[in-house]
Amino acid sequence: MTVSVPSDGDGPLGRRASLALGGGFVVAALLVPRFASGYVEDLMLQTLVFAILAISWNLLAGYAGQISLGHAAFFGLGAYVSAWLTTPAAAGFPGWLATHAVVAILVGGVAATLVALVVGPAVFRLHGHYFAIGTLALAAIVQLVLNNARTISGGATGFYVQNEFGEAGVYYLAVLALAAVTVTTYYVTRGRLGLGMQAVRDDPRAARSLGVHPLRYKMWAFVVSSFFAGIAGGLYGQYTLYLNAGSTLGVNWTIDSLVIVILGGMGTLFGPLFGTAVFMLIDNLFSQVAGGLATTLEGILIVLFVIFVPHGLYGLLQERRSTSRAPAERDRTSAESNPGGDARE
Amino acid sequence: MPSLDLLLGATVSGLLLGGIYALAALGLTLVFGIMDIVNIAHGHLLMIGGYVAVILAITLGLSPLLGMVAAMLVLVVVGLLLQELLQYVVGEGLEQPILLLFGVALALQNSWQFALDAYLFGSDAQTTDLRIVSGNLVLGGVSVSSSRAVTFVVAVALVLATWAFLRYTRTGRSIRATAQNPTAAGYVGIDTDRIYRVTMAMGAALAGAAGALLSALFPFDPYVGWSYLLKAFAVVVLGGVGSVLGTLAGGAVIGVSENVGALVIGGSYRDIVSLSIFLLVLLVRPQGLFGGSEGGE
Repeated sequence: MTVSVPSDGDGPLGRRASLALGGGFVVAALLVPRFASGYVEDLMLQTLVFAILAISWNLLAGYAGQISLGHAAFFGLGAYVSAWLTTPAAAGFPGWLATHAVVAILVGGVAATLVALVVGPAVFRLHGHYFAIGTLALAAIVQLVLNNARTISGGATGFYVQNEFGEAGVYYLAVLALAAVTVTTYYVTRGRLGLGMQAVRDDPRAARSLGVHPLRYKMWAFVVSSFFAGIAGGLYGQYTLYLNAGSTLGVNWTIDSLVIVILGGMGTLFGPLFGTAVFMLIDNLFSQVAGGLATTLEGILIVLFVIFVPHGLYGLLQERRSTSRAPAERDRTSAESNPGGDARE
Repeated sequence: MPSLDLLLGATVSGLLLGGIYALAALGLTLVFGIMDIVNIAHGHLLMIGGYVAVILAITLGLSPLLGMVAAMLVLVVVGLLLQELLQYVVGEGLEQPILLLFGVALALQNSWQFALDAYLFGSDAQTTDLRIVSGNLVLGGVSVSSSRAVTFVVAVALVLATWAFLRYTRTGRSIRATAQNPTAAGYVGIDTDRIYRVTMAMGAALAGAAGALLSALFPFDPYVGWSYLLKAFAVVVLGGVGSVLGTLAGGAVIGVSENVGALVIGGSYRDIVSLSIFLLVLLVRPQGLFGGSEGGE
């Protein structure tokens, strides 16, 4: 996709305003468990998990250009590993494994990272379509294997998670995690690593000829992205306290991250955050208005966005801004964002 | 280890299954080979085809073989509509068609499940009955179900017919020319837009045919799309992208390995076996077991 992001800058608001907004959001989010109802807290946690997951998919797909359809596998692995660590007995593991939820969630992220490290060199032999389908197959295998391993996954009945940390504790942790993930992504994407990823995305051959080794940067994107996805899974599992191989590893997590990032804007820092907010609104609106047809509307929305708003709502916002600011700059930006699509492998 | 008789039976029955997997993959390999698009919604088109047969069987008591014809007609229309959408994003890089078709697949799956629950017989798994001759047939000392044998014959006939169509008709030659070099095909007067429409309609119709036949073998629910997409793609990769006859070989490999695998390590591992073989081939030999230098990149 032709989403070069030379103009991502510090967001539509400028650096100081973004920081203030971010800080304000964190404070507001931290106050939710004290002052809002349990329903609002549930919705907020869902929002936080989606945001982390979307940022992580965007790092791999939007910045490094690797359209993975297997993201659910890393989310689910994070969820299951953290669940095994806080509730080892339920999975038939020895009791001394029992750890605090915070450590368990981190280890869940590390486990997802390790899996990414192992399978990465293999799946990156695949390009484009093959990568997308290969990762879809990989996720399907992980789901089938865990679904069959009833003793450790709970099979169709599911797996009940316990922890001493409590709902509010996990919630606060999720707020922190989203802040950390956002800041990390901010620095990764504007540093050498992120520029390398974008170079590989825009033209792997040119990148290689300039000494930017594609595999290395794809691997970085994959590993970091999988860690975030694992953390998101761990948070989700420790909050809802119930996992099920069918749904926790299900393709719907991949779908939701995809919808969010496409809504918000691929390959931008603020796109996934923006997309999550819009997605949560739409999702709740859709399920109230359309009931069982909510996913259909999401599918149609993907199609419409891919055709008419390929840079997402955030991209639209940026275009508006640059149009109103300086027409000359807009011309430059659009000229810059043109190449890349054709030169891709 | 199971007995030799059982293994032989599983192999023969797997070969028969392979024929229909070949048909399931045929539309996918055509669209991929000719238009360079992986139809992520292919499995969902197949699902729709299966349900056309199921609905006709339940309401009118029609045989799935007639249902197959109806399914192909319905899917031609769906394929043409899909191409109307796709033409917006063709040539804009790899991601756009993948994401667009992903959206289409989602919409198809969810709206169909909704329609089934709200207006039809619910989204529980359904199947059709293809009983031309009752009971089992005996082939070379191995007994196989007659519905497997019939679907195999029909599926392989369709694959061969497609091969002949591409090889010997004028439209078929235009399609192959467009696949090789769309620009040059345009220069010699081939309307490539029309060729793409024909290809997409054919691909969808073949998916519909495969779905209708599969409904006589396995139960259908609105979620079967993803698993058939992966299976069909496995066959495509094994047989070589764009290769019509390659699907027969790829289908046979997947069908047999699935059946034998299920027999040796248990039925619930059936899909894991075929998916693992697929991933392995994808990684080791992306140009397919029988393909030339195509694919991979």
